[in-house]
Amino acid sequence: MKSDSHDPAADASDHLRHLIDHLAHFLPAQGPIGVFVHHNTLHAFQHKPFEQAVVEAGEMFGTEPYWSEAKYREAFAQNRIRTEDVEVLLQGEPDGPVLDEVSRHQLMRAMLIPGIRDVRPSTVRWELEEGFLRDRDATLFDLCYRVAGGTVPPRKPTRPRDGVLQATGTDIDDVIHPLLIRLTAAYVDQGLAYWPMPDREFGFWSAALTVLAQPSFPAPELTKLSKYVPKAQAMTAEDGLLFALRTLSISEPHWEDVILQELLALPGWAGMMRQLEIEPELAPHDRVRASLMEFLAIRLLLTAAAVESVLGEPETWTEYVSESVRTHEDELSRLARAAHYMEVAQVLGLNAARLSRNDDARRLAEAIDSFGELERRRVWHLAYERRHERQILLPLLQHRKKYGLTSPKRLAAQIFFCIDDREESMRRHVEEVDPDIETFSAAGFFGVAMNYAGIDDAHGVSLCPVVVKPQHAIRERPADGHDELYERRLKLRKHWASMMRHWSVASRTLVRGWLGTTVLGVFSIIPMAARILSPLNYARLVRWLNDRVLPEPRTELAFMRADHQSQEATDGLLAGFTMQEKTDRIAGVLSAAGLFKGMARLVVVLGHGSGSLNNPHESAYNCGACGGRNGGPNGRIFAAIANLPEVRAQLRDRGIFIPEDTWFVGGYHDTCNDGIDLYDLERVPETHRRDLDRVRAALDTARARNALERSRRFDWAPDDLDAEGGLRHAQERAEHLAEPRPEYGHSTNAVCIVGRRATTRGMFLDRRAFLNSYDANLDPTNEALGRLLGAAIPVCGGISLEYYFSSVDNEGYGCGTKLPHNVTGLIGVMNGYEGDLRTGLTWQMVEIHEPVRILFVVETTPQRVLETIYKNPLNWEFLNNRWIRLAAQDPETGVIHMYRGGAPGEDRWELIDGNDEVLQEAPTSRDWYRGHSGNLPLARIQSGKTAVGA
Amino acid sequence: MNEQVLTAVVTAPGLAFIFLALGWMLGWTPAERTIVRITAFVSLVMVGGAAWMGYLMLATGQAQFYTSFGDWFRVGEYEFTFELFADHLSLPLVGLTSALVGIVGSFSARYMHKERGFFRFFMLLLLFAFGADLAFTAGSFDLLIGGWELVGLTSVLLIAFFNERREPVRNALRVFATYRLADIGLLLAVFAMHYLAGSSEEGHLFLGNWPAQHVSMSPFAATVVGLLLLWGAAGKSAQFPFSGWLPRAMEGPTPSSAIFYGAISVHLGAYLLLRAEPVFIASPIAAGCVVLVGALTAFLATLTNRVVSDAKTTLSYAAMSQLGIIFVEIGLGFPTLALVHLVGHAVVRTLQFLRAPSMLHDYRRVHAAAGGDVGRTGEHYEGVIPSGVRLWLYRFSLERGFYDSIADTLVVNPILKLSSALASLEPDRGPEHAARKPEPLGRPMVQEVES
Repeated sequence: MKSDSHDPAADASDHLRHLIDHLAHFLPAQGPIGVFVHHNTLHAFQHKPFEQAVVEAGEMFGTEPYWSEAKYREAFAQNRIRTEDVEVLLQGEPDGPVLDEVSRHQLMRAMLIPGIRDVRPSTVRWELEEGFLRDRDATLFDLCYRVAGGTVPPRKPTRPRDGVLQATGTDIDDVIHPLLIRLTAAYVDQGLAYWPMPDREFGFWSAALTVLAQPSFPAPELTKLSKYVPKAQAMTAEDGLLFALRTLSISEPHWEDVILQELLALPGWAGMMRQLEIEPELAPHDRVRASLMEFLAIRLLLTAAAVESVLGEPETWTEYVSESVRTHEDELSRLARAAHYMEVAQVLGLNAARLSRNDDARRLAEAIDSFGELERRRVWHLAYERRHERQILLPLLQHRKKYGLTSPKRLAAQIFFCIDDREESMRRHVEEVDPDIETFSAAGFFGVAMNYAGIDDAHGVSLCPVVVKPQHAIRERPADGHDELYERRLKLRKHWASMMRHWSVASRTLVRGWLGTTVLGVFSIIPMAARILSPLNYARLVRWLNDRVLPEPRTELAFMRADHQSQEATDGLLAGFTMQEKTDRIAGVLSAAGLFKGMARLVVVLGHGSGSLNNPHESAYNCGACGGRNGGPNGRIFAAIANLPEVRAQLRDRGIFIPEDTWFVGGYHDTCNDGIDLYDLERVPETHRRDLDRVRAALDTARARNALERSRRFDWAPDDLDAEGGLRHAQERAEHLAEPRPEYGHSTNAVCIVGRRATTRGMFLDRRAFLNSYDANLDPTNEALGRLLGAAIPVCGGISLEYYFSSVDNEGYGCGTKLPHNVTGLIGVMNGYEGDLRTGLTWQMVEIHEPVRILFVVETTPQRVLETIYKNPLNWEFLNNRWIRLAAQDPETGVIHMYRGGAPGEDRWELIDGNDEVLQEAPTSRDWYRGHSGNLPLARIQSGKTAVGA
Repeated sequence: MNEQVLTAVVTAPGLAFIFLALGWMLGWTPAERTIVRITAFVSLVMVGGAAWMGYLMLATGQAQFYTSFGDWFRVGEYEFTFELFADHLSLPLVGLTSALVGIVGSFSARYMHKERGFFRFFMLLLLFAFGADLAFTAGSFDLLIGGWELVGLTSVLLIAFFNERREPVRNALRVFATYRLADIGLLLAVFAMHYLAGSSEEGHLFLGNWPAQHVSMSPFAATVVGLLLLWGAAGKSAQFPFSGWLPRAMEGPTPSSAIFYGAISVHLGAYLLLRAEPVFIASPIAAGCVVLVGALTAFLATLTNRVVSDAKTTLSYAAMSQLGIIFVEIGLGFPTLALVHLVGHAVVRTLQFLRAPSMLHDYRRVHAAAGGDVGRTGEHYEGVIPSGVRLWLYRFSLERGFYDSIADTLVVNPILKLSSALASLEPDRGPEHAARKPEPLGRPMVQEVES
């Protein structure tokens, strides 16, 4: 506003702006839910070591860093954590004497195994009175009670709401949130409300004030609002915010604390405002000028008005500190601490007489305190992860030793899948069904970052990882001779749209709703009953009708561009790829996979996505490498480009030899209903028909077996299904209106293997591993590895961490159970009718997840992988701060080393060896998983030659 | 035999509830599949029975089915008769309830799978089905209250289904309080029937077959009874001045929102008025009030709905406005039209509630099919309103007609003040005492140890 940098007002504004930019990082970074992109929930803490970050974040957000101790104990009871895991981990912890006969390690060990019961302040009195604590030793308890002293200093309220709550018992959040939520929801609404919010084009501050300036009947706790609004209308949002801070007498040193707490009172909405502010194009339909500053300004203006309405003076909220309640809680927590000490002493065999010597009781108490609940959970968690490492790495090692590298003997076809963990089982089944098929994987956009619009889409969307901004536009268009069909389809769809739109609006309005419900209403019981009682048949009927009424025209992709053609003036996108660009894309994927020559006659490239009904989180099941969308078009265009003779000629110059009789086919795998579509089959040469038939047959059997394997996780699937039944079950889930778990998505993901398929072929990895094709022998410069990890670490790491946090604290980091979710503004879901926007994953998505940091197993030498990661600052941050785990498997010897920290040069690696996990064997996947619904150990599947029952 | 069919339809869900409840008290928590099978069986009995009765009605022209369990008790001149009957009004509603319980039960089997409250949900669904059937087939208004209250109770318990969070419980409490307030009207109406007409039995009060019934009450008596019934009905059907609770009821799981607030529970008020239709024919004043309340609600609800930006709330206001029209139809004396409207609306709204999570998906598909432009809304009647008024209407609607502020200022806070004033008269029960004086803790125990 003013140019003079010494002007205190301008300094304050600067400070405020910086502060908001800084604090905004702590808000959820999830955009509108229609495009769900997995990312590290604690991205803002990624520059800190994992164990420190989770604790700090926990303090800031009031969330859990790990599972509860009880959950780990349960895992211990089930042998998922073993005593040796805990012991090994304790070796790494600092030791020293606590008492003459007790070392710190002994103390820690005793507190973990057998462990101390959890005594909570809320139940301690009851436990003492009922004598539930371990053999109550009166003198010992008295001693413990004495050393358990110490009071918590009185805490001042951090934000106005706390002060008002202490003073009057009125929670002003309950007063301002309904209004603030309605205003914000109306402002960012993408078309749900019949009346758009007036004055939206002037920004949130102005639009909200215009509405608030209207005469109203205020809530009793907001009577003073009418005094504030006219004043605020004369100010900018920034001045308004400063004014509110002044009015509430919040001085500059306290801004950071107060503003952070105010933002975190409704993190979902504040975060959405921020996301739409920095990336307005995230808004699916209506771009709005969002601003976190303006949101905060309205929030604090409402707060000031509420404080004044309730307390009379807006600045007096700071004075209220409640005494009595604190004392009460102190006493309870002191008792709980005393009980806790007593239990530890008893486990260690220390009695009152022993502990009253010197100052030993106090020394013991201090040592116990230093191994508090969070510390114990940390050790438990590391032990949990250590066992996981051994469960994965030892069988991997044994498999390599026993079976070496396995590849098909006679190559029939090759299939590229996405690296997605859900495709692991699909690949395994394909190989089991037809052992002559070889499978590969690459990030599911297959190197083709594009802005794509299909014939049924109104606008193009980015099909590539979110960090990439596509430069090229690819459009699907009707093939020659199909224009007429296309025109008809377009017209009919428009009619359908206007009918649907009309009905959805009309059924909610007065007069049209009356006509609709009276005349037609009762007949809708038929589709309703059909959809719910027999979803699969209903879906078939709808598809049949669609095929009759809206036949799909044959289409092709427009992707050619002459070298000199320039960018579209309107959207800045290049129409199609040049020859050079095309070659780059194919070369990138094939060389990373180590596929320089020896392609089969048929190579299939399968993108993936997931379709489900009644599911606002649908996008979270889609392909992460395609930015939360379906990657079918990427597979299709990759194949189309790879079939061009000119491209093949250029590829030869780069050392990639595609035989002349090799044909590429693109396709799409729906991971929810396990449907597979192959594209442009009419273009497959006559000579390749038999190859195609063979691959289709293999895919068809494999997808049914894959569906059957997935069914083992679902309680609703009958136990005695065969493969066809499994497929029907999967299809039904996708079409069921009531299904909150259409599929389990990335749930249970835990590993990312980067290496040749030959090292894992024939292994049952339980759909828990991302698989990247990579051959270190063909990548002497580590260049391909760098590119590959550059995508895999953030993508797989982000998915793994989002699942981790949403499962250790599903209410705090995730979005809780789906059932009360309510779609709001077409951008998100909230609980009930006036709640915060919920971010993260639903309980239904993570209920079976094992929260572990993802374990990368890279098939190369420790030095090579570490140097490669070190060169990429983002990846190095992931690794160095332990947000991911890393192991290296030597390509020559198969020996595995686990990374234990340190930059290149001072890096520490642990040689993995031992027999505490043994590779087991089974004739088929089906034999291995049959009858089990939980996680299964790795196993060697003998071969695909044995016939599979089904 | 046909009487037993009616009995079976009404009591099946009640018996299933009692069976499960007794089992639960004995420590048996059945598997999900068992509960689902029981519910499916009950809804088959209900649908089958209702269909059979409907077939007989059409085939034989029988006007009603009637079954009596005799008097429950008698006090002086008062007798509580236990009679069920189904006529052209109740049977469609019993049929609707049966079908929806089956559909929503099947939906919930999947939807609620693995949820902690699975068992509780189905228990409440069965109890609700029993309550609704009882209310629809009650032979007297005394008995109707029983069903009415069961519906209210289950409704509130399902709003508070997610009882580990604060908001559902708070909102459920608010709905409960509103229900209680409105139920006073229904109770008084029944008292007035007994006092002014000597009975609350359907057979005594109304002569002829629905919808061509008439009542032998004086216009005054009819007005009193009619207005009191309207009071009760308005509460259940979220009509003015009780309408503010409906959006709060959206805290529950989606299937319960669907069957309660899309379909049965919220239409129970309209049913009450339809049942008592002859009263309103006898009293133009009461009928006029019904029209007025309905029209006002419909108008306010459709106005408010225009700014609502979330799926479940917009459906709840849409339901409220159609209910308003149903009230108008009843008040104007078109009971058959009202019944058709009621049933049609219940079905449409149930499906819309069940599909509420799809709103995002549907919009996107329509948007794409329309070529990226679905056209603007809100330019229908709005053109004629001056912009200043439009702005005020926006605020008015955004604050849901200031319903909560007005209720808090005029009703809730005065009652709270009054009760805390009364509480402070008692020496140890003032609010300060409760909050500030914790009982002495811990110390005595330790002293006991030391002694």
